[in-house]
Amino acid sequence: MTETSTRAVRIREDRPTRPSGRWRRTARFIAGRVIGLALTLVAASLVVFFSRFVVPGDPARFLLRGRSPSEEAIAEVTRQYGLDLPPLQQYLNWAGGILQGDFGRSLQYRDDVSTVLLQRLPVTLELVALAAVFIVVLGLAAGVLASLRRGRPTDRVILVVSTALGAIPSFVIAILLIAIFAVQLGWFPSFGSGDEGLDRFVHLILPALALGLTFVALVTRVTRSSMNEQFVREHVEVATSRGLTRPSVVLRHVLRNAISPILLVSGVLVAGLLVSSAIVEQTFGLAGIGSLLVQSVDRLDFPVVQAIVLVVVIAFVTVNTIVDIIQPLIDPRIAAGTETR
Amino acid sequence: MKRRNGALRRPRTGIAVAVSLVGVLALSGCGQSAIGQHAGTFELTAETPAPAGDIDRFTWALTTEPFSLDPAYAFDYADNTVLSNMCESLLRWNADLSVSPGLATSFENPDPLTWVYTIREGVQFHDGTTMTPHDVVVSLQRHLDPEVGSFWYSTFQNVASVEQTGEHEVTVRTTEPDSQFNQLMSAAPGVVQSAASTEEAGPDYGNQSTGVNCTGPFQFEEWRSGESITMSRFDDYWDPDLRARADEVEFVILNDANARVNALQTGEIDGAWTIPTNAIDPMRASDTGNVYFGTNATVQSIVISDMEGPLGDVRVRRALALALDREALAQAAVQGYGTPTDSLTPESVWRDADDATRARAFDDIAHYDYDLEEARELVREAGAEGERIVFATSSLDPSFDVVSQAMASAGKEIGLDIEIDTRSQNAYTLLFSDPAAIEGVDMFTTLWYLSSTDPLEMYSVLRTDEFSNYGKWSDPEFDDVVNRAVATLDADERFALAADAQRIATDQLPWIPLFDLPATVWMGDRITGVDPSINYLYFPWAAKIGRAEQ
Repeated sequence: MTETSTRAVRIREDRPTRPSGRWRRTARFIAGRVIGLALTLVAASLVVFFSRFVVPGDPARFLLRGRSPSEEAIAEVTRQYGLDLPPLQQYLNWAGGILQGDFGRSLQYRDDVSTVLLQRLPVTLELVALAAVFIVVLGLAAGVLASLRRGRPTDRVILVVSTALGAIPSFVIAILLIAIFAVQLGWFPSFGSGDEGLDRFVHLILPALALGLTFVALVTRVTRSSMNEQFVREHVEVATSRGLTRPSVVLRHVLRNAISPILLVSGVLVAGLLVSSAIVEQTFGLAGIGSLLVQSVDRLDFPVVQAIVLVVVIAFVTVNTIVDIIQPLIDPRIAAGTETR
Repeated sequence: MKRRNGALRRPRTGIAVAVSLVGVLALSGCGQSAIGQHAGTFELTAETPAPAGDIDRFTWALTTEPFSLDPAYAFDYADNTVLSNMCESLLRWNADLSVSPGLATSFENPDPLTWVYTIREGVQFHDGTTMTPHDVVVSLQRHLDPEVGSFWYSTFQNVASVEQTGEHEVTVRTTEPDSQFNQLMSAAPGVVQSAASTEEAGPDYGNQSTGVNCTGPFQFEEWRSGESITMSRFDDYWDPDLRARADEVEFVILNDANARVNALQTGEIDGAWTIPTNAIDPMRASDTGNVYFGTNATVQSIVISDMEGPLGDVRVRRALALALDREALAQAAVQGYGTPTDSLTPESVWRDADDATRARAFDDIAHYDYDLEEARELVREAGAEGERIVFATSSLDPSFDVVSQAMASAGKEIGLDIEIDTRSQNAYTLLFSDPAAIEGVDMFTTLWYLSSTDPLEMYSVLRTDEFSNYGKWSDPEFDDVVNRAVATLDADERFALAADAQRIATDQLPWIPLFDLPATVWMGDRITGVDPSINYLYFPWAAKIGRAEQ
């Protein structure tokens, strides 16, 4: 479904001939990326929609959970939700609706899917954003520190701790965090998302840590190895021998060149965060998209499932496309449109 | 876990140890390991200490989120726990399971096919409009509308017409005598909501965006999807005795049992119905609140969901019942907070029967005391040795896991191969609504509660071709008794027939009864006043809760 994120990068040896040619190539590259994005989304929407038909169970039955529904009622519900139409017709109606912002109606809530999603999206976005901040801050800090202390005890401790954290599933971390910080110490609330503003922030600290800690390990290791690679590079040696201060060498020459691989894992991170958020949300009683997805899959609420999966796919593919497009801007050695896949 | 055959052991010890370990793990971090002296014993209380005064707000935990607050779809714990405080029915279901006037001041039954309700005057809806018989007619008729697809359709299946027959009078006529219709007018099917609001909202009535417009002591404020539902006091409520003592009540949705127990003990949430049985002892030992036990109308049983398979033979079903040591299982599965029973109906719904009939219903029936020898013999007779049986379970309730394990090891003892099929909570609830979900499942556990004070509510669903007769069990004699009972409007005669139905059901075991369970409720130190009873599903229980003496 998604492209592999390994990219073979060809280092350009020749200087660009004319700026206009480079600009045109960049434009063509971006256009190609955007068309690819659109095609991916259409393909994804087909898969997302038709996967429903391989799942056993009749949604109409879910809508009539009483004792002994009447045959008329079953027929009526089937008609109301368009379940009696041929599948292709259903797909076209659904896709057409989405283009107008209409994701259909949720079976479990008897409400518009868009209403339900909009209610829940903020919490998930805030949670993922806060987790991302933790990941970047902690991961970068630990990675940079480990790299600066290459081979010393500090480096080893960071490696061991981050590897251990990376191996513990989010839900275990979540339970531990709740037991220690919410129940025993009472510093943080143990569930819910609180009210907008500071209260929300306080409520999201523990869940964001639970969500982020697993990924900190990844960022730490990528940062560390990427920087170590740079440290032995000629230009760094040169910069150091020219008497530049250590901080400026680290910042301008090492980190700047090490950032590329770190950016590459961000696409993977976004997807991973969205997937893990389901578990963390469930544990902390947060009403986000993740917990909604889990619950909707179980309840055969396919309009909601389809909408969420589609939104996640859009997010994932878009982030990857953006990374592709800004990669050349950050790293001048990669010319736009010249990498092979 | 594989065990050597022939190792004769009761399912008890291994399971009890496993459960207590699970319990300890689940509750570690709640800072309570001291178990009180009352562990595993309980007494029912009719009420809790009266409040010292009003309270600004309190919070209440829900285990699952309601799907909708439309009474037509209020068919489960969560929906009705919330709705019962905002919407009222024609009749009222009291804490002792008696029925008294509600939005109808009286009802008459002039002939077997006619029910005449006198509608209360001067009742306001939450939007300030006055309730009229027209609202009653529209509210009841909705359940017959296929476009609505009411979950309560079966309550109305014999209804021929609902009409306004006087200035304050509504008459319901049925096609045949139906004793059950009027009984359920004290539950969700009897709820009256504003006809205007219902028509205006259309399919959105009762959902997150719209809420409900009824007559109860609380009115709908806000529903935050997946998180909470808030209601506030309705100042123009008609019944001064049930004026809400709280300005605001917030229901907090917490699926995770551990999170719920934690939040109750830390006081983050003030109260909850139905405490997980494995948390009752630690919670009773804690000093931040109290657990109360009350009248229930719930029996935990095992639904036999496939009569085509090996369980189609009544001897195998009896063997399973005999192979379960229910005394031991009550300790292991519900920590002693349940009473082993041989009946599918709780004793509480027989309150209006005379003593002789009640004795006949509970004593003169088959009893299945633990007897492995006889169970083995029955399996042999039926030639069912080595048959594969699938038991579906989930983590929906802490007891389910234990019951399924106990069943599997009991099966092994008597020569049956019982396989456990674990499903997610939501997938498990589909067993009760989607016939496709039952494919390949021979049995599963249920906590089956009744919504009226009548054992026939249980037995009528076990008639041939009833939707909730999941195993498609069919017994002509049973059908005949139940049909006659349903059509009998005289209470004494009806209970006598119900006792016959109970005798047949216990003898034939379409479902295997396990325990009669008490209702449980937790209130933290801040609040008091609720009546612990299953009637909370249809009675404005939250109105009675106020500030506790501190």
